[in-house]
Amino acid sequence: MTEKVEYWVKIPFGPIHPGLEEPEKFILTLDGERIVDVDVKLGYNLRGIQWIALRRNYIQIMYLAERMCGICSFSHNHTYTRAVEEAGGIEVPERAEYIRVIIGELERIHSHLLNLGVLAHDIGYDTLLHLTWLAREKVMDTLEAVSGNRVNYSMVTIGGVRRDIDEKKRKIILDMIKYYHEVFPQIEEAFLHDPTIEARFRDTAVISKRVALEQGAVGPTGRGSGIRDDARWSERLGVYPDLGIKPVMPQDVTGERPRGDVFDRMAVRIGELWESLELIEHALDGMPDGKIKAFPKDNVLYAKLRLMVDGEGIGRYEAPRGELVHYVRGKKGSDKPLRWKPREPTFPNLFSVAKGVIGDQVADFVVAVASIDPCLSCTDRVAVIQDGKKKILTEKDLLKESIRKTREINPDIKGDPTPVGSSCSR
Amino acid sequence: MSEAHANEINEVKEPTKAEKVAKAIADRFPEAEVQVKTNKWGRQRVWVRIPREKYRELMGFIKALDREAHYSIGIEQDWGDELGFLSHLVIHYDDAPAVSLIVDVHAPKDDPVIPDISEVFPIALQFEREGMEMVGIDFEGAPDKRRLFLPDDFPEGIYPLRLDDKGVSEEMVKNAGHPYYLKGGAKK
Repeated sequence: MTEKVEYWVKIPFGPIHPGLEEPEKFILTLDGERIVDVDVKLGYNLRGIQWIALRRNYIQIMYLAERMCGICSFSHNHTYTRAVEEAGGIEVPERAEYIRVIIGELERIHSHLLNLGVLAHDIGYDTLLHLTWLAREKVMDTLEAVSGNRVNYSMVTIGGVRRDIDEKKRKIILDMIKYYHEVFPQIEEAFLHDPTIEARFRDTAVISKRVALEQGAVGPTGRGSGIRDDARWSERLGVYPDLGIKPVMPQDVTGERPRGDVFDRMAVRIGELWESLELIEHALDGMPDGKIKAFPKDNVLYAKLRLMVDGEGIGRYEAPRGELVHYVRGKKGSDKPLRWKPREPTFPNLFSVAKGVIGDQVADFVVAVASIDPCLSCTDRVAVIQDGKKKILTEKDLLKESIRKTREINPDIKGDPTPVGSSCSR
Repeated sequence: MSEAHANEINEVKEPTKAEKVAKAIADRFPEAEVQVKTNKWGRQRVWVRIPREKYRELMGFIKALDREAHYSIGIEQDWGDELGFLSHLVIHYDDAPAVSLIVDVHAPKDDPVIPDISEVFPIALQFEREGMEMVGIDFEGAPDKRRLFLPDDFPEGIYPLRLDDKGVSEEMVKNAGHPYYLKGGAKK
């Protein structure tokens, strides 16, 4: 009698482009084509944000928080601001709360459209990628018109918002809403009723409710698995309760009970696109007149924060990818926080999907990772560049190398490549 | 006293969900410091400070209060002479507002041992791994003590977010940092 021999193979997946163009490494244990175990290795994009933040003041950290991630830059800035406001007991004018809602929901639309495109691209359905990303351009243009930038909007400040939404900007947003009322039905039709999409996404990478609860899945990943929670709703954040916020569950979109697969996570995002449009409409209608900042100038804010922030504060907000938490601890008399820690929704979602794909085919792994809409740059936060046994190239070395290479290609090049300016310590 | 008036008093006295949770914890754990704080926009949070001996028991108690309790973040920090690990949990989120619960546990720096709670909340393990490498808390009984974020060749015994001499020294920093504030961490 011959014994059955099993061949388990370990393969590295990443750190280059596992599902999205961001670095993260998974070590898959495979039995043939079947995934047996997944180990997650983080830290390929460590930039030492928390360490840097120990040397920055409250206002500087706003910009640092924003630059953790381009896609959810508003969310990070907003949540950090909420944490500082809680620690300092700062009140926000009502008009500012409405403007925060509008920018937050615009960001959600652009992020969800981006992810839907990536999902379609990962199964080779590039027609849909082009459709969604074409639609996404409209919201990016709107954001640029409203805030002045396509990403890193810098709209929020501690105690309010920086820029007002006037009649002209309001018209641009209403224009965008009209455009999306025409385009979203096409996107919805393609994603919810296309047989190719259904065949590929249904019952792929199923995260059961039990696993989702254990691993703390949040956002569309959690709701797709049947956890009815939305930080905007459960936190009663700002003016969201007045605007009629409700967690969007897969049964609201597909009419079936949640199964926790890629399709359900995608369906939640489609539902949230519609919800965001509605929230923006309601916010534009209900926006009262008045101040947009608690403190008129940044230097006043700086001085006030020094005196007001004493103690701890938690900020919670539903970023496009799920619940985002920031923690800030300050002390009276110091202009810097003693501790600032963000936790991004991708962090628990990544571990949920690592459990969820066990038993699936290796070919499904890419779309499974993309289905949680990973934002890996956010997830890696801390790094210190140091001289170990290995040679680690610093920014200076890389610059030197690139100058050498340019000279090699074109020896006649003119101009001085040394950096100009005194603000950078290199 | 009219009936309407009596109702009004009852309504005022009705404790919120957060206060109920705070009372349940304070009754069960007399050694814990429990506070309910309300912020400017009326959001209540329950802040609990627990001795480390009772930490695991408290987490088990929270899980028993709500089977679907959501562990959202673990924050490791340096308090000067102590190391702290603070967890934020969301419980009773079947209707809004949910209870926002913060559990803080401290350990002295010369004996930085805190019990591991990954049996109760499996995701806590990942935050504990971060806590182990970033400030050097030792989570007793954690099933996985590998590094999570830091590279494998990072020197042992250096914890990047420590504010004392076990933190990152000046010599280790290469072209990083603010040009004006290269020296020192946050002020005490």
